[in-house]
Amino acid sequence: MRHTLTLLLGGPLLVLALAIPLFVTDSYILHSIAMVLFFAYMASSWNFVCGYVGQLSLGHSAFAGVAGYVTVLLFTQLGVTPWLGMLAGGAFAALLSVPVGYATFRLKGPYFTLTTIAFAEILRIWLENTDDFLGIPLKGAQGLTVPPVGGSSFLAFQFDGKVPYYYIILAMLVGVMAATALMERSRLGFYLKAIRGDRDGAEALGVDPTRYSLTALAISAFLTGLGGAYYAQLFRYINPERNMGIDLSIDMAIMTIVGGQGTILGPTLGALLLHPIGEMVRATIGGSFLGLHLILYGLMLILAVIYFPKGIIVPLQRLLDGRARKSASRKAAAKTDALEGKGQ
Amino acid sequence: MSAIEKISEVKKILDVKGISKRFGGVQAVSTLSFHLNQGEILGLLGPNGAGKTTAFNMIAGALRSDTGEILFEGRSLANLKPWDICRLGIARTFQLSKPFGGLTVLENVMVGSFVRTAAEKEARAEAQKVVDFLEMGGKAHTDADDLTAFDRRKLELGRALATKPRLLLMDEVVAGATPNEAGEMVHLVRKVRDLGITILIVEHVMKVIMGLSDRVIVLDYGKLIADGPPKEVVRQPDVLKAYFGERYVDARA
Repeated sequence: MRHTLTLLLGGPLLVLALAIPLFVTDSYILHSIAMVLFFAYMASSWNFVCGYVGQLSLGHSAFAGVAGYVTVLLFTQLGVTPWLGMLAGGAFAALLSVPVGYATFRLKGPYFTLTTIAFAEILRIWLENTDDFLGIPLKGAQGLTVPPVGGSSFLAFQFDGKVPYYYIILAMLVGVMAATALMERSRLGFYLKAIRGDRDGAEALGVDPTRYSLTALAISAFLTGLGGAYYAQLFRYINPERNMGIDLSIDMAIMTIVGGQGTILGPTLGALLLHPIGEMVRATIGGSFLGLHLILYGLMLILAVIYFPKGIIVPLQRLLDGRARKSASRKAAAKTDALEGKGQ
Repeated sequence: MSAIEKISEVKKILDVKGISKRFGGVQAVSTLSFHLNQGEILGLLGPNGAGKTTAFNMIAGALRSDTGEILFEGRSLANLKPWDICRLGIARTFQLSKPFGGLTVLENVMVGSFVRTAAEKEARAEAQKVVDFLEMGGKAHTDADDLTAFDRRKLELGRALATKPRLLLMDEVVAGATPNEAGEMVHLVRKVRDLGITILIVEHVMKVIMGLSDRVIVLDYGKLIADGPPKEVVRQPDVLKAYFGERYVDARA
């Protein structure tokens, strides 16, 4: 039923998403929708480990940031295409996640969360205050810009309009959801849910929690890194505050929690609900009330935790289950009527 | 070594040699030695605080022994983690059954099956066999959180069986069960033994342990005070003293 829900909701959403650039011509609106998809992608990447293991990481933005820096530096310093740079950045983020995860996954609850915040903040502050590291120009808080190649270039990951960027992030979102679906059905998925349910019980059934949590974290860091690299290419600019600040980590976590942790579609639903609210507030009264969108996010989180602790995906699931049951009983009744009709 | 000793050595599946555990000022288990023969059901008895669960946890790898060693089929379990011990062929159940929430009964059992295969299809087929063995086929697709307390115990047994153990450690399997449920569990434990699985069972309910065990050992204050057939052991003065106090034993004398 869980996969039925994904198909019933995800299928039409995908068709709609594919068609959007055909009738949305305003580049600001298209960019805003691409940003919804970007946050859905980032939240889905966060969910890959945190949603399934049940640990709250608020340091995931570090993976996005380092991968973004690797991509931009490889392009600006060595001329490596950002497509390869993205993969290298993602791999670097995955490598970085292993020692971090090894130290933090032994901790539970708030200790884990605090350690992830500390890790990301240390890295951000170090980057903000480092202009040059072993000859690599990091340019501190100023950040790095991606020099324009002039016009559209697929290899340089630079396009004139917003449409290519839109389809790239859409493809990435479909990819991360497919990866999550595959993981759910695999041994890794079962093990992560077991660790979330009862760590001691899982250990007694042959599950090494550190090994499997680390595997999922490395994949999650890789995926988050790809997202961070995309973000840097989209804006052709990267700096520590914007690309690896705690705000990004909080967004990923809140969108997933509100949408539904440990589900394929939940993070996307959370992003679809929250990002437009944040964007509208910022665009209308954001100038006079800075940070209002975060207050609204907080309110949504409180409401979700009180009324839908497993995410807004749950009432949707119930609604669809109810419809499926009604439809099944209608079909059964029609069949009985038909049989009775034959009998007469 | 005599020929008889050699034969009994071969039959030993678990050999516990002088294990101890101290928590601060409390000596929970003190140089405990016992063994389990292949195919046997061994009952581990003792009043509250006797050190049963501590000994149990040391065998399962959840606690490390301060002294001595534990051999499973001749191999030392020293420094092995619970998941390594499970892979070797020792499974356990817990006093408090906590199913993995958000997973169905079948999916819970699949977590156990995955220790022997990485293929989802194979794990599902193996888990289905276990669910049928437990006579829970009708509840295979029920969310494990919605099970009754007794069904949760059965599920826990199923998860352990899915790891295909040669030795099963069971911790108070009938705690809180109705007489009918306790009877059903006894029937199940016998069925498990008939599969060729050796069982070490910690239990408080005397009726259950007497009916099930081939042999019982009794702990008191972390020390082994009796080892033998159930009917003989429960008549021993040390055992009566541990359970009912010295006055009771004196009054009977």
